[in-house]
Amino acid sequence: MGQFRITVDTGGTFTDVVYYDETKQAITIHKLPSTPHDPSEAILGGVQALIDKGVPATEIEYFCHGTTVGTNALLEGKGARTGLIITEGFRGIYEVGEQCIPYGPTIFNMFYEKPAKLAPQSLTCEVKERVDFQGRVLMPLDEASVRAAARRLKAKKVTSVSVCLLFSFLHPEHERRVRDILKEEMPDVSVSLSSEVLPQIREYFRLSTTVINAYLQPVLERYIANLAKRLEGTGMKSRKRYIMQSNGGTSTFESTAKKAVATVLSGPAGGMTAGVTMARDTGHRDLITFDMGGTSCDVALIKDAQPSFASRVLIDGRVIALPMMDINTVSAGGGTIARVTNQGMLEVGPDSAGAVPGPACYGRGGELPTVTDANMALGYFSETNFLGGRMRLDRSKAVRAVEEKVAKPLRLSTAEAAEGIVRIINVKMEEAIKAISTMRGYDLRDFMLVAFGGAGPLHSSQMARDLGMKGVIVPLYPGVNSAIGLLQADVKHDHAMSRLKVIANLKGSEASGHFAELAQQARQELLDEGFAEGQIAYQYGLDMRYAGQGYEITVPVKSGSLNDADVAAIRRGFDEMHKQLFGHAAPDEPVEVVTYRVAGIGQVPEVKMPRFKSEGRPLEDAHLGSRTARFDGADMTAEVYQRERLDVGHAIKGPAVVEQLDATLVVPPGQIATVDEWKNIIVTDEV
Amino acid sequence: MATKMDQSGVDPVTFQVIKASLTGIVQEMQNSLFRTGYSTIIRESQDASCALLNAEGEVVAQHVVLPLHIGAFPACCAAVLRTYRGTFQEGDAYLINHTYEGGSPHAPDMAVLTPIFHQGRHVGFSGTIAHKSDIGGPVPGSCFALAKEIFAEGIHLPAVRYIRAGVVNEEVERILASNSRTPELVLGDIRGQIGSDRLGERRVAELSGKYGQNQLLACFDQLMRVSEESMREHIAGWQDGRFEAERLLDNDGISLDKPIRIHVVVEKKGDRIKFDFSGSADQTQGPANIRPPLVKASIVYCLICLTDPHIHINSGLLKVADVVVREGSVLNPRFPASLNTYNPTVHAVVEAMLDALAQMVPGRARGDGCGSRSIIIGGRSTRAGKGYVQYEIFGGGTGARPNKDGLSGACAHQSNSRIAPVEIIESEFPTLVKRFDLVKDSGGPGEFRGGLGIHREYENLMDARFNIRSTKHVIPALGVHGGKSGKPGKLTMKPGTNQERELPSRYSDYPLGEHDVFRLETPGGGGFGDPLSREPSLVVADVNEGYVSPARAAEDYGVVVVERDGDWVLDEAATAKRRKS
Repeated sequence: MGQFRITVDTGGTFTDVVYYDETKQAITIHKLPSTPHDPSEAILGGVQALIDKGVPATEIEYFCHGTTVGTNALLEGKGARTGLIITEGFRGIYEVGEQCIPYGPTIFNMFYEKPAKLAPQSLTCEVKERVDFQGRVLMPLDEASVRAAARRLKAKKVTSVSVCLLFSFLHPEHERRVRDILKEEMPDVSVSLSSEVLPQIREYFRLSTTVINAYLQPVLERYIANLAKRLEGTGMKSRKRYIMQSNGGTSTFESTAKKAVATVLSGPAGGMTAGVTMARDTGHRDLITFDMGGTSCDVALIKDAQPSFASRVLIDGRVIALPMMDINTVSAGGGTIARVTNQGMLEVGPDSAGAVPGPACYGRGGELPTVTDANMALGYFSETNFLGGRMRLDRSKAVRAVEEKVAKPLRLSTAEAAEGIVRIINVKMEEAIKAISTMRGYDLRDFMLVAFGGAGPLHSSQMARDLGMKGVIVPLYPGVNSAIGLLQADVKHDHAMSRLKVIANLKGSEASGHFAELAQQARQELLDEGFAEGQIAYQYGLDMRYAGQGYEITVPVKSGSLNDADVAAIRRGFDEMHKQLFGHAAPDEPVEVVTYRVAGIGQVPEVKMPRFKSEGRPLEDAHLGSRTARFDGADMTAEVYQRERLDVGHAIKGPAVVEQLDATLVVPPGQIATVDEWKNIIVTDEV
Repeated sequence: MATKMDQSGVDPVTFQVIKASLTGIVQEMQNSLFRTGYSTIIRESQDASCALLNAEGEVVAQHVVLPLHIGAFPACCAAVLRTYRGTFQEGDAYLINHTYEGGSPHAPDMAVLTPIFHQGRHVGFSGTIAHKSDIGGPVPGSCFALAKEIFAEGIHLPAVRYIRAGVVNEEVERILASNSRTPELVLGDIRGQIGSDRLGERRVAELSGKYGQNQLLACFDQLMRVSEESMREHIAGWQDGRFEAERLLDNDGISLDKPIRIHVVVEKKGDRIKFDFSGSADQTQGPANIRPPLVKASIVYCLICLTDPHIHINSGLLKVADVVVREGSVLNPRFPASLNTYNPTVHAVVEAMLDALAQMVPGRARGDGCGSRSIIIGGRSTRAGKGYVQYEIFGGGTGARPNKDGLSGACAHQSNSRIAPVEIIESEFPTLVKRFDLVKDSGGPGEFRGGLGIHREYENLMDARFNIRSTKHVIPALGVHGGKSGKPGKLTMKPGTNQERELPSRYSDYPLGEHDVFRLETPGGGGFGDPLSREPSLVVADVNEGYVSPARAAEDYGVVVVERDGDWVLDEAATAKRRKS
């Protein structure tokens, strides 16, 4: 029986589609122009393309999607009309936020603005109630005040309500009762409770996350319902339909519609998931993923095949305090513009020429030199073999832009100017990589750089060398790597609760009780989604800190069932982790447990990346010719190869260029590129 | 254009690469410091900064967390050079927190400087400054509002050699430890600073190895020259002339009815600019004084605000302006005048300068802001049964801008700290927060409104000692171009009882009893432009959002609103009539 999986990653310019044929264990890829007015159009196009090849829709067994719908609604201010219900007297929580201005140049910007509130004060209602720091009720919930709030929000035509009461993570009953009353008064309203979205201490982070959820929920619900209907319209019957979440796991259509805030980093999470699989497959278990596109570059760290997580991120100045893939983004892409300042300084970025007018060599009217133009001027790109020949590049325009705008004002040769532009953008991206690695106590000599995105493989070899890394891995399909990642993700739901306690006073039985409660929630959710017991796994973690510290670190815990000795061992593990991350530990200081975490994993049958055997073809089959390219101040003859024709075991010595449909790999002199059995290209220093 | 850089012999690409690397290094030092510091002041309030200096003690790169430290680093390093020049060895470390010998804003800000060597040559210094939780003196936290000399502000170390070629001078440690209420935190934080400094040393030495000493040192010079030239170029574009402005501070904490005058004359011709503060008040008895390094840093802060927030921060910027500060004045006091509560004075200096500068730089006038304040509550019984210091820092409303309202519940100007979460302080300290909202009607009326102040009310649950260091409780944040003042701040003890009492903006050691309630209202920002020309729909929105009361909408803005179905709507006829009269 033939069975297919489809994954779709919607980007700003392209919608990437990957098909996996389970019978043949074969992957094929497809790229369509995105349809921003209704992203599902391009998605349907991708599904239809498979059906048109004669695959019955009923054989499409699995569908997974990385979406930017939530991110875009948030960035463009197109969410629902959102209300907020809070404890009486505490309007300042949302209004003041963190109070401080972001560090760096913003401190000097007299026109800085806080992000607009997604639920304004006029749609914020106070209810009489109060719970203390131990979860005791100081003032019971006054239901009349809740009804009055519901009626006001109804009159104001609010369609989504967020509820965030003080200490609700210890005593959720008040928030639940508020929801019941809201549902009585306004049956169609969407309700987000802070005790469900993020049952954790620190009211502003909890409130902000909950409000964003409420703001996005109706948008996601509508989008998913529409997408589901259209997929069913093709004849697809399977209910294994998933959306990628920011935590690197997927979630069913139905669950995603209930926790919209978890999709905000849905897009880039796929690339990291692909990196994790690569780490497991290839045995290169320590990786930096490096995704460079047209305007920005995302980097992330994978240690021992485990991704890194951040427990709190800022999106457009707004706090989301959910566990998310820890991805560092810098403004550096192929379209990044180079210029000479009035002081005679060469600056590269942060602004970008975007898709329109784009780099000068695209011939769409762009006149400013970009990073792509510099690469073109250095001879790294082919004029005729870009996007498989679908787009012709004009080298003379690239050379002219670099010459006029950079070389002449600085009295450099064009080649020197172009090399300068590439070096400067490389340093910026290298600093972004250091920020997530060396600055956190990791030694880059242990790591491989996984280069993908349209521009990643152009820069990766030189950067890995500058950073003293082990080498570079270029996956087989660098242009659709995020969609490949969607093929490999499990379903994952995070559950958490804050219970502050000094660990010296914590009994194993008490900790086990909290974990069991969370695990039961996780289990039930996955059973409801159709997973069998045998497919469910759990990951446990504890957020801890030295008493008095402001922020916690999450320590992984092997099991949810702990005895007192286990608790003592966890404390020592915290000291070690603190030392690893921050350079010191204080084993004699008291440690506090703050938050218990359980992730429920619904295991999806694994997709093995196809392995290939050498077909014994000569390297000459892939040889396209040679051209002059610039390396380290010297013009050299670089051999040019076609990626798609390379065979397992082939080795290419630099200087060389490897071209494929949607990416170009540069191999500098002194490095060697070899093809492994997954047809990844591994670039290392020649020994 | 290009000739400027040819003198130094650094090619533009290498220059840019070294610049980006130095920026990365100070960022890396900063991350390390925030993480390895023990005290909540470093971790929570992030009151600490890092810099790289050349061998003459000039800053070549600084990560901007606290703009004021741009002046403190060179002043502290100058003291180290005065005492130890020519004797530096690899692995040394120097401490200084003496406000007159060096140039920390106040004594709790302790600098740790270490020389950077590469191939035996002394190429620069790695430096950190971090606020210490307690260095002795009459009150916990060492910021005594009634201090009349620095001798009531805790221990002062002149430049001392703390580590010699890797060997710690334990005498220094013992002296420091025996002069602090929190010795472990102080020594722990100093070790964190050393770690961060060493990181800077290693990274700069690596850079020097990669690009060569001469190229690196040429780059240091060029970084300063480029920043200075770029700033001068901006200034040359401003209108020439002589402008002056003044601001008044509530008081010095001792003479409560005596405002303190800060006055500046700015003279600008071509690319030269001079700030003369001679007209400012004589030095104060209480701790409102600040020293010249802080004045210079304030000037740099203002110049960056008015030009390019992305400019590379280094000592080149300190060379742009000429400064005159009269000896014996509040901005150049004679030893041993007290200095601990420097922030209100700095805010007044910054606001006077911005006022004067806005007369020559079009489009940059703004209302005054809320200043900055902290409350420090010390007691001996936490939930865990230990002594504690509850330290919270508050902003308020910032000034309105030429095209925007001010920010509500935010930090103003160079002050920048996080607010402590209610759920955290209630979990850790014996306190119950009763209210946390904005102060209605506190934003200065204007075509653009000042931001609103913060209102917090606490019930204290166990006996404790209360301290406040605030400002603008008497003299408000002023408006500009016809904008009105914001509402001043206020601290009320036991509000609504027959023992209700207002405390001054600087106060130390008020005894708080069990269940005593106190209420802090922080100042609103000043408005910009005539409130009668504020777009009426914006006023109506402010009423609906609860920022402005209907009564004040009419009184201050001439906008009459009426209630309809639970919302406030504009009464156009009544508004037109009221605005005409």
